[in-house]
Amino acid sequence: MRKLLSLVPVVLVALATAGVAAAGNGGFAPVAPASPNATHIQHAYFLILGFTAAIFLLVESLLVIFIVKYRSRGRSRAVEGAQVHGHTRLELMWTAGPVVILAIIAGFVFYELPNITPAPAAANPIHVTVEGHQYYWQFDYTDTPDRARSIGTLHVPAGAVVDLKVVSPDVIHSWWIPALGGKIQAIPGRNNHTWFKAQPGSYDGQCAELCGALHASMDATVLAGSQQAYQHYLATWHETIGKQIWNGVCATCHGNLGQGGYAPAIANNSLLIQPNALAGIVHNGFTGTQGSMPPVGDTWTREELDGLAAYVKKNIYKPAPAGGTSGG
Amino acid sequence: MAVRSEAAYPVGWKNGRVASWLVTVDHKRIGILYIATSLLWFVAGGILALLMRAQLATPNEAFLTKNSYNEVMTMHGTTMIFLVVIPILAGFANFLVPLMIGARDMAFPRLNALSYWLFVLGGIVLWLSWFSKGGAAHAGWWSYPTLSENFPFTSPGHGQDYWILSIHILTLSSLLGAINFIVTIHNMRAPGMTWMRMPLFVWAIETYAILLLLALPALSAAVTLLLLDRTVGTHFFIPSQGGSILLYQHMFWFFGHPEVYVMVLPVFGMISEIIPVFSRKPIFGYKAVAFSTLAIAFFSMLVWAHHMFTAGLGTGLDSFFMISSLVIAVPTGIKIFNWLATTWRGNLIFDTPMLFALGFIALFTMGGLSGIFLAAFPVDWQLNDSYYVVAHFHYVLFGGAAFGFFGGLYYWWPKMFGRMLDERLGKWHFWLLFAGFNLTFLPQHMLGLLGMVRRVYTYHHGGQWEAYNLISSIGSGVMAVATLVFLINVWRTNVLRKGVRAGNDPWLADTLEWYTTSPPPPQNFDTVPYVTSARPLRDLRRRLAEQPQ
Repeated sequence: MRKLLSLVPVVLVALATAGVAAAGNGGFAPVAPASPNATHIQHAYFLILGFTAAIFLLVESLLVIFIVKYRSRGRSRAVEGAQVHGHTRLELMWTAGPVVILAIIAGFVFYELPNITPAPAAANPIHVTVEGHQYYWQFDYTDTPDRARSIGTLHVPAGAVVDLKVVSPDVIHSWWIPALGGKIQAIPGRNNHTWFKAQPGSYDGQCAELCGALHASMDATVLAGSQQAYQHYLATWHETIGKQIWNGVCATCHGNLGQGGYAPAIANNSLLIQPNALAGIVHNGFTGTQGSMPPVGDTWTREELDGLAAYVKKNIYKPAPAGGTSGG
Repeated sequence: MAVRSEAAYPVGWKNGRVASWLVTVDHKRIGILYIATSLLWFVAGGILALLMRAQLATPNEAFLTKNSYNEVMTMHGTTMIFLVVIPILAGFANFLVPLMIGARDMAFPRLNALSYWLFVLGGIVLWLSWFSKGGAAHAGWWSYPTLSENFPFTSPGHGQDYWILSIHILTLSSLLGAINFIVTIHNMRAPGMTWMRMPLFVWAIETYAILLLLALPALSAAVTLLLLDRTVGTHFFIPSQGGSILLYQHMFWFFGHPEVYVMVLPVFGMISEIIPVFSRKPIFGYKAVAFSTLAIAFFSMLVWAHHMFTAGLGTGLDSFFMISSLVIAVPTGIKIFNWLATTWRGNLIFDTPMLFALGFIALFTMGGLSGIFLAAFPVDWQLNDSYYVVAHFHYVLFGGAAFGFFGGLYYWWPKMFGRMLDERLGKWHFWLLFAGFNLTFLPQHMLGLLGMVRRVYTYHHGGQWEAYNLISSIGSGVMAVATLVFLINVWRTNVLRKGVRAGNDPWLADTLEWYTTSPPPPQNFDTVPYVTSARPLRDLRRRLAEQPQ
């Protein structure tokens, strides 16, 4: 019986290993890192996993062994176990043991820390202001002369150090692209900083801090491509910003085709073809008895609002059928 | 002047079957009322959890979405913490502390009744918020501003105001209770019961009460400022007008982390009572267990900002709070090892209370260890606000606190009602709950590591996300069945009166509450024996055995 029990931890470890192997990461470690900070966080994770798994197996197997070995086997309740009141040396051992393990963990975290934060010195870091809004992420490429902007997708060259300033004008959001390192909250009134240096690829994430009704829809993607692709985006962002705004901001509430969803249908609304009125609503929002809309575009320039107006006029607006109303 | 027990004054309408419970100032009845009311909220909060798991069972469901989901999620958390775990522990403490220290009642019986009725009122106020304009609060149980502020796109309406009012009432209730426990424990112990002969549960309640006194005012203050922001136009937490959101985070978690220990320390106390009795041994290292309780309480006041590692506090503060959070693992580890050592060379009897206590050790260990990942702040940056955290705190608060209080219910039920809960149903309850709990919350660790954030009403990924979520939802159903089994057991025992009658001391236990009858008379004891050790009842049994016939 005892031999059998000693096999339990071995089997468990084998099963866990097989599980990890079968499932890739499978949820047994953070998603495969694609940036040095995420890689070093992963190292710390595995060190802690090693110690905690060992302690877990120790405690749970002792528990099972004692349960089996000292079970009553029909002895009466009146039969007492060994009247042991304690053992100072033993107790000091299980006080000192954890202290040593925790010191190693803390030491290793401090050893890895310079690789995780702050951002490493780089020749040409790219500076981006990440602005969390209800319910979209907006990226300002502050190094560019015309302050290029994108919505929902952050375009960066792979291999470049990208320095992020994370802010919010409304409520707390939390920036998190799992493959590119840890979270940082976007807190109104504060400038928080994080960074990454992405391998080529496309990485998804979403807002991690409850920010309202559509918190679940606040997605972000980081597209790390070639230097040319990055430069191409910076040169042509004006042409696509209208579409980005529609897809990344308007569609979240009004539906991909303006058919309605969390917010009313607007595809037939004649406001869509009145650039000034549209700009006013998007920029200022409104509150009324029939409904309200937040000032989603309070930081957008007139040029960007015009881009949006042009896009919706061409792609979204469908004149109401005769006799229909254009509610809104 | 104090009327200690209405039964001693059998006059008029106060003797009615219902009325006697409404006007009671007897600590035992108040304790039972606390526990019964908490179990009611437990069922209500559990139904909310089932609704959420139904919504999340598969991707892109449309059963409970957006603000409705956020309301259910906020109410689930607030209910389980403020209306279930804290008050049910207050119920145990009310029932047990005077009995365990050989007193006739709490120091302030009327204050005690006030605590209970404030708790009832707080619960009603919170749940009435469903009917308020704009629905229930939906900013999460932390209610971080500015999401909880009164703006058109954050938390307009009165749900949040109800939430604040309810927190005010509940903190008042807990503060009064805490004062009562401290005064009782300090002044009313039986002759001979020195601090080192006090039951470990009473140690835990002493510590719990001190923590409540230190931590709750921070919460009351935080929600008061929030209320002022919402109603009279101050801007304590509105950055665009000079306020600070971090201020709220600090105030909330200064309360919030000690709060976690408020919810588990009394359960530690119960486990320290149950395991020795069902091992037929004394607790291993009484002093270590008692003092580690105090150590945990002390350090728990110094770890609050580990909830704020992603707020950008800077490496200095993050490092301090990492180290203090790791330190707290040491006294917690001491307890786990001491409990294990208590079973060593014992005569282990697996009645239902023991099953829950051993299940508690198994599950709480998991919750404690996953907490070490969260204490290491760079790792927390990856795990914070993900389902990993949801899994972690449910291992602590359900696997820990709830398994503990279920164990306590089975253990003390005969003392409370004079009848034993059914063992067969009890074992079904335990095994179903154990299996269902692990099915529900183990996969959530993986979901968090895969990138699923908490407090979302839906997700779009299939594959592993879908598989883990589905398993989790199935597990929640199993937990619901387990709870039904428990309720059936209660019904069978107390309403159908099929429970076996318990004598004074059905478990051959160690502490004074088993000296009196089950249930105890209104005055608790006619005489209290002189206490000569931490196990007065065992001493008594031995003395009786030694006496010549």
